[in-house]
Amino acid sequence: MKTQLTRRSLLRGAGVTLSLPWLEAMAAPTANPVRMAMLYMPNGVNPNAWTPEGTGADFQLSPTLQPLAPLKDKIVVLRNLWNEGSKGGDGHYVKEAAILTCRTIKKTPGADIGNGVSMDQVAAQRAATLTPLPSLELGVTPVAIGVDAVVGYTRIYGSHIAWSSPTTPLARELNPRAVYERLYRASSGPQNGSQLDGLLLDRVQADAKRLRTQVGTADRHRLDEYLSVMRSLEERVERSSSKSQMAWKARVPLDPKAAPTDRPADHAEHVKLMLDMIAVAFQSDTTRVATFMFGNAVSNVSFRFLEGVTAGHHDVSHHGKDPEKLRQYQIINQWHVAQYAYLLNKLQGMKEGDSNVLDNSMILFGSALHNGDRHDPHNLPLVLAGSGGGRIITGRHLVYGEDSPLANLYVSMLDAFGAPVERFADSTGPLAGLVHT
Amino acid sequence: MKLFLCLLSACCLTAQPNSFEDAQAFLKTYCQSCHAGKSPAGGFSIDKVATKASFLADTHAWTRLRTRIENGDMPPRNLPAPAPAQRESFVKWVNDSLHTEACATGISIGPNPLRRLNRDEYTATVQELLDIHLDIGHALPADGAGGEGFDNAAETLFLSPLHSEKYLETAKLATDFAAKEFKSRERVLIAKPGPGVSADQAARRILAAFLPRAFRRPVTDADIAPYVELFRIAQRKGEAFEPAVFFAIRAALVSPSFLFRTEPGQYALASRLSYFLWGSQPDELLTDLAAQGKLQNPDVLRPLIGKMMRSDRSMTFAKRFIEQWLHTRDLTDERTAKMGEELRGDMRIQPVMFFRELIIRKMSLLNLIDSDFTIGSNLLAKHFGLKLPLNPNSTSQPQWVALPKGSNRGGVLGMPAVLTVSSYPYRTSPVLRGAFILDSILGTPPPPPPANVPALPESAAGAAPKSVRERLTLHRANPVCASCHDRIDPLGFALENYDEFGVWRDSDAGQPIDKGGLDRLKQDLTAKKDIVLRNLANKLLGYALGRGLTLKDSCTVDQIVDKVKQSDYRADALIEAIVLSAPFRQELK
Repeated sequence: MKTQLTRRSLLRGAGVTLSLPWLEAMAAPTANPVRMAMLYMPNGVNPNAWTPEGTGADFQLSPTLQPLAPLKDKIVVLRNLWNEGSKGGDGHYVKEAAILTCRTIKKTPGADIGNGVSMDQVAAQRAATLTPLPSLELGVTPVAIGVDAVVGYTRIYGSHIAWSSPTTPLARELNPRAVYERLYRASSGPQNGSQLDGLLLDRVQADAKRLRTQVGTADRHRLDEYLSVMRSLEERVERSSSKSQMAWKARVPLDPKAAPTDRPADHAEHVKLMLDMIAVAFQSDTTRVATFMFGNAVSNVSFRFLEGVTAGHHDVSHHGKDPEKLRQYQIINQWHVAQYAYLLNKLQGMKEGDSNVLDNSMILFGSALHNGDRHDPHNLPLVLAGSGGGRIITGRHLVYGEDSPLANLYVSMLDAFGAPVERFADSTGPLAGLVHT
Repeated sequence: MKLFLCLLSACCLTAQPNSFEDAQAFLKTYCQSCHAGKSPAGGFSIDKVATKASFLADTHAWTRLRTRIENGDMPPRNLPAPAPAQRESFVKWVNDSLHTEACATGISIGPNPLRRLNRDEYTATVQELLDIHLDIGHALPADGAGGEGFDNAAETLFLSPLHSEKYLETAKLATDFAAKEFKSRERVLIAKPGPGVSADQAARRILAAFLPRAFRRPVTDADIAPYVELFRIAQRKGEAFEPAVFFAIRAALVSPSFLFRTEPGQYALASRLSYFLWGSQPDELLTDLAAQGKLQNPDVLRPLIGKMMRSDRSMTFAKRFIEQWLHTRDLTDERTAKMGEELRGDMRIQPVMFFRELIIRKMSLLNLIDSDFTIGSNLLAKHFGLKLPLNPNSTSQPQWVALPKGSNRGGVLGMPAVLTVSSYPYRTSPVLRGAFILDSILGTPPPPPPANVPALPESAAGAAPKSVRERLTLHRANPVCASCHDRIDPLGFALENYDEFGVWRDSDAGQPIDKGGLDRLKQDLTAKKDIVLRNLANKLLGYALGRGLTLKDSCTVDQIVDKVKQSDYRADALIEAIVLSAPFRQELK
């Protein structure tokens, strides 16, 4: 045990040294943390109803963006951004899996999966020590099984936008009740027996290290993956029980009785509950980073619960300019925007001193395709809301030169979040005119 | 230059490449203008594949270029491109050549990558270890799939931070539950402290019995000691004997030796067999045979496989394999809201039980194409619109039942689960069903549609209703579409007598449906039975090995297919050939 304790104190020591500059940076005057979320909508948009009229501060919302009318001064509509890495390759996966990585994914049925680190995880990794959970990955549809033989990609790609390493897609939580319980546990400080949990995690890591020496080099990365997730859990368990190291306190405590159902009645309720979980997580400051997938790539969820919609999501996205399909496509798009508006309103209603959680957040909404019918990767439909603690200049329609790097947006968002990077993927700098300089 | 090549292609290269030189000419014609020289496009130069040695030395380059050509990604648009038939024959030639070259050097056992238990395997294994009946794995994230399309593929069994949290929680949930259950306590707590037995000794005895089961291999004192140490620490922290023991057990359930399949030697084979045919941990018989070193022996394996298949536990295998192979997992509540939970359950279990019965009854796999039997129940009979000779004592139980003469419900293509998942939720689609047959049954998925193809227009309101067939005929008037849809659509049309829930119908939108199509489809598939068998062998081997197949594995598949053909296509022969294959046993003959 003695050696283990030594190793662990060393780890702790290393953790402090690594995070010191970061803590200093965060100790700046404003006490309100900046949060960041991406809400991903599959299958693109009806191109005739998406783009606002006018530019800059003088713009009119398009039909699809109408649900954002009361929040118009809180949003930035972005035009002409794209991920150049996604221009080759068929169909959805190459675009959708890379929406937050700005890379070109490897075309594979699974053996050698490859993407980049997603921007949310860059933020999460930098802010990992500041909140009980580094990030939340949420969805409503289970991971799609199998290989899409038609295009030759494993469907794993279509079910993950958050990647902690080029080879590690992050699993999503789909059950709203489980998310709430997780948030509650994480935010309520040291648990009974968390000291024992620490010892247990220490033990199993020792097993993994021993095994690691017995397997071939090709298999080591699996045990490294195991070690990495167990170590990060151990660190969190330890942090939760060490008062001196962690001054974290829930900004608004969670009510254990407020856990939502684990069986939402339908798709609409399910989505709403998951968005509620983001709001709770941000308000309490249990995490500052979240990603949410309204559906997997190529999602064909039935939207018949919407008046005037008769077909599945993916089906109508391949509208072939058929006016009827375009009309249904637009209704589905607009429903997604309305859910986005729902979350924004909720965050805006959560006061934080003189401001509110929305003002202290950056909530990005969008798709990895423009016109879904053509799998068009140009001019991605994107809206950013919230001013990131006063950094983002909102209330505008920003039009960039054709095919400007989406990665530039991420450079600016990471900067506003407090996790500045020199470069992100193919970025050429921050996104001009987005933030106060 | 391009013009010249164009002319050349028109005159000289319409024939199928049947020699290495023809293939090189094909590459020079369509690829050389970009993929040659000092800085070839995309870093790929056709010099890489200019010699016969490159088949083995640079297989990856060949398979990549083949896929690019097969999918129509290359040559890029606006450059001279081969006609579809030429593409196809080139692709076939590459496949055949790679296969011949790979098999020239004999059978290989192939990779055996380290994998963790997937969610279903984890759940079943914890349940058995602790003798609890609690769906403890439901909180774990679902696993995606790779390889041959199954969620047990080693390549895609990732670990996320969410997993580590859930493993820790689930282990606690499971041990807390077991601590209160009489059966589990009997199973696990085989010793207790008392006169002459110290707490330490009792804990050691319990762990010495539990750990080999959890790790699926014998354990040494060095394996046990750290877990006894955890027990001691828990006691020192004030835990009573039992909670302290369950704490050590909890650690074992989060250990990589439990979560990953790391068993050595024949214990690995015991696990491979049990996770293949039972979806869970090996039993004592398998472990004993491994301990005696007998498990590699084909004479031991043959009767063992039969025994394992006859066990109820093999339902798990049939369910996981069939539901992923035929996509019937997609038969969800949402799709079948109208038909009710019970009918949906019967529909889902039908192909699963059918497949398992073929194996246990040692019947021909060709029954998958057409059969005089099916799995029936009173709800299925009603759905079919048929009277079935069900066992009068249990009409509601899905059961093996003879079909009336001339019935159209034989084989998997007569099963409503299959017919429903290959339709849209609101109408049938000959295209989806045709693509389903090409992909899942024949293993030859159609290439993706070219960009910018308009989709099939739905009937406009007020206009005279058009049947799907009429609308698709319009679509196929376009020669670009026709090049593939001529192959896809007829297969799907043959199933048009089944509506989107698999109910039989004689007309669609007032138009009668040609009933001869179904028979012709079944004759066609029967004529292609070796292709059907090969595809099934590929899928099943991929499932059994829990990984994607490589080029070298195609030689193993040759052997498996031969053995099954020699055994009159019997289903049990397929399982046996897979288990006895070199990659499964990890032994070269």
